[in-house]
Amino acid sequence: MATTAPKAGAFPSPYEIDTPAGCEGWEEMYPYYALFDERRREIDENRFWFWNSMHFPMPMPAFDVICIDSPYQAVGSWQNRVFAVPPAMGIDYRCVNGYIYISGNPVTDPAKIAERAEFFQKRAGYYFGNWSELYGKWRAKMEALIRELGELRVPDLPEYEPDEVAFGEDRNTAFYEVLDAYGRALRLGDLMWQHHFEFLLLGYGAYGTFVEFCKGHLPDIPDQHIAQMVAGIDVLLFRPDAELRRLARLAIETGVDPAFQQGRSPSEIDAELAETEAGKSWLEELEKVKDPWFNMATGDGLYHYYRSWLDDPSIPYAALIGHISALNAGERIDRPTEEIQRERDRLASEYGALLDDESRTSFNDLLNLSRTVFPYVEEHKFFCDYWFLTRWWNKIREFGALLERNGFLEDGEDVFQLSRYEVASSLDELVLTWATGGVALGPKHWPPIVARRKEILEKLGEWTPPPAIGVTPEAVTDPMTIMLWGVTTERVQEWARQQDGGSVLNGAAASPGVIEGPARVVRSVDQIGDVRDGEILVCGSTSPAWAPIFSKIKATVTDVGGVMSHAAIVAREYGLPAVVGTGRATAAIRTGQTIRVDGTEGTVTLLSAQGA
Amino acid sequence: MPDTAGRAEYIRPLQRLTRDDEPRFGGKSANLGELLAAEIPVPPGFAISTAAFRAFVRDAGLEGRIEGALARVTPGDLEAIATASHAISEAMRFAPVPDVVRVEVEQHYAQIGKAAGLDSPPVAVRSSAVGEDSAEATFAGQQETYLWVRGVQHVCDAVRDCWVSLFSPPAISYRARLDRAEEPPAMGVTVQLMVDAEVSGVMFTCNPVSGDPSMVAINASWGLGLAVVGGEVTPDDYLVSKVTGEVVREHVHSKDVEYVPDATGAGAVRVEVPDERRDVVCLDHTALARLIEVGKRIERHFGGHQDVEWAMARGGSGELFVVQARPVTGLAKKPENPKPASAMSLIMSTFGAGPPKG
Repeated sequence: MATTAPKAGAFPSPYEIDTPAGCEGWEEMYPYYALFDERRREIDENRFWFWNSMHFPMPMPAFDVICIDSPYQAVGSWQNRVFAVPPAMGIDYRCVNGYIYISGNPVTDPAKIAERAEFFQKRAGYYFGNWSELYGKWRAKMEALIRELGELRVPDLPEYEPDEVAFGEDRNTAFYEVLDAYGRALRLGDLMWQHHFEFLLLGYGAYGTFVEFCKGHLPDIPDQHIAQMVAGIDVLLFRPDAELRRLARLAIETGVDPAFQQGRSPSEIDAELAETEAGKSWLEELEKVKDPWFNMATGDGLYHYYRSWLDDPSIPYAALIGHISALNAGERIDRPTEEIQRERDRLASEYGALLDDESRTSFNDLLNLSRTVFPYVEEHKFFCDYWFLTRWWNKIREFGALLERNGFLEDGEDVFQLSRYEVASSLDELVLTWATGGVALGPKHWPPIVARRKEILEKLGEWTPPPAIGVTPEAVTDPMTIMLWGVTTERVQEWARQQDGGSVLNGAAASPGVIEGPARVVRSVDQIGDVRDGEILVCGSTSPAWAPIFSKIKATVTDVGGVMSHAAIVAREYGLPAVVGTGRATAAIRTGQTIRVDGTEGTVTLLSAQGA
Repeated sequence: MPDTAGRAEYIRPLQRLTRDDEPRFGGKSANLGELLAAEIPVPPGFAISTAAFRAFVRDAGLEGRIEGALARVTPGDLEAIATASHAISEAMRFAPVPDVVRVEVEQHYAQIGKAAGLDSPPVAVRSSAVGEDSAEATFAGQQETYLWVRGVQHVCDAVRDCWVSLFSPPAISYRARLDRAEEPPAMGVTVQLMVDAEVSGVMFTCNPVSGDPSMVAINASWGLGLAVVGGEVTPDDYLVSKVTGEVVREHVHSKDVEYVPDATGAGAVRVEVPDERRDVVCLDHTALARLIEVGKRIERHFGGHQDVEWAMARGGSGELFVVQARPVTGLAKKPENPKPASAMSLIMSTFGAGPPKG
């Protein structure tokens, strides 16, 4: 996509970005190949890179880089080597001051494009033709993978190996078991990412084609109507909240609802419930729901920070409190599925009726195909990003605990401050010294490194990355960049114009409506608890896992995201105005500042100069 | 055109017209008849036929004069056109409306008065062009409108003024371009009870800018429709989904002038809108919903996109009336319809693996 001639700089060169004071040496946290290196300056400086704030809104901890490498290895494999998407290979990434910039690799040779088209048509055609069957197998694969992860044991290092090792057959010693478990854990992660992207491009592509078809024939059709025609009725992602609504009703029916008071922590509520029989049976009911429905993340799961509802129940409990008070106020909280179904079919038939016969056939075919692929589009997040990934981070925490017990780390959580290679190397030394009885250097080596990195990350978190760096492309043509990130030619031009600042931000109109209110800038999930009723959420990108707090906020604004982003779909579901893909909302807006969000026009106006 | 009694038919109530009457009564009148048949609220009125116009020309002995003046016209010769227009208009202006026609006007005007409960009801008198002229009538300058006309004499004068407009320089020029300069032209006239509109405007049953068939586009402003139609005011602008009734876009503008009935009781005057009303949105969502409902029925009845003039009556009821409907012609931009292609080939194109979308 960045093949056009360099254009005088709207965006800074990646090679001219200063390191924030006190962050010197940040590069050591990242792989050599992730940096803008002088040895490939000529190429890298002349490409267009945009900040992937949708997936990486915060500076990357060293270990979490695995969630850049694996996804881009996987997406590139499917896109470039399996399906051979004709004009686009995979996506390169680079790290600047801890933030991740990406750029697609285009295919420009017409003969190559034609050659790839043959592969693509055959292979993608097979997937579309057998979608439901293949997707059924995929779900089975994912469930098996999650089971395997659950069964993976991180052994301890005993003073003496048990008798079985001495007398049994095919027994391994703990040094091997530890290294093997770590290797397995990393490979299971890779496997998840491989599965994650198997259907993603094709699923989004089919849906995106339907969206484009609708907009070609019905230029003013609200995005919401397109989504409504396609969206699944019984979507898995809505299940967790549906279960919470059921539990809220149960709490009222069994008279335990007074325990759910605003301001109480989950453990305080649990303690009160445990005092009565009715409360205990409610807690038992809750336990039954937890697996799998509490395997939701507290945010989009590409950072280790995002725990699951199992680890941190504050989101589901906040939702329970909200549902119970709504029910007690006589409000209806159910998702009216029959109504949604009827409306979805009515929209489809009325829009279809407005088209001529030939167009109607394409419309109906694309709609049916979109409905076929949509379960994957919605559900892969639950299986991969939430369920698997939150458990996988916990598995890595077990290695952190092992290192902590042996003095290599002061806190098990510090394992995420080491790269995956450094963790491998610590484990190597740990099992070596365990085996030899020698003195480990790790306990002296790692803690100061960890402390320094935490300090750097905190400072990098205060730095505001530009939305794009490198050359401004004349046109964005990469289908993946457009489809997955909503980064279009217009968006990039808008970013370029906005480099000078200004009091109006432009983005994509993601969910209609106009609202004014105080902003709450949230740059990481641990700030989610600060959100107050009636505020407008301003963030890098919202996660559907934050959906329960959507009942508190009035509107949402994001730095990055497109029409097809989950955040946009959820905002529409909740009827909240949303503007996505503003490029710099989190940088331009301060918490407490009054802003106007126009989700119909796609603008955000800064009304008061300063925040609280 | 003789009626059953063998007499030429000069006037007919709107509710007895159908689209088949277009050649004799003009598009506007015929369409209003169709609207009434579809039970769309249309103010009562009557249509004057082209036969009445011919009787007028014949009785006044103007046939030869018109023919002679037009014979010298060639397309592009603006001076000759202006001369011919002037000669014909002057002659027509002093010719009386034939008594047979006048008598019928009197009768039907009285009917309107009876329906409205008024002795001398205010009416709108508009030209109703015939044949190919109707589509292009706006551009050809043949779309005369006289508002708040009262009394038989004034109605007859207004009818004659409509007829005169058939020979305005743009109208002659337009026919000359079509190579029909020498054909004797003809025109119908529509006479309708005036709605004392609090709000009025235009509605397209598609988005005329994008061509989106799922949208209804509405322009609305205070007072009689003249200000919106004539572009004298920047109206409030709405885009509403036909499918869900959602207001997809709503732009409220400052509406600084409006037309209201003259205090003397005859004619409409342009007045300033008081400051406090200028920026007030003139249609609420209930009013929009009523308009959309009527727009959809009109579109369904005619089987195509319609350009509709409407008015909402002053007073508590805010009753909605349609005063004109005609097919939408010459959409500014058609939606870019890709060549019909299979769903799969469209998806292939998304990935750059197929013929480019066209």
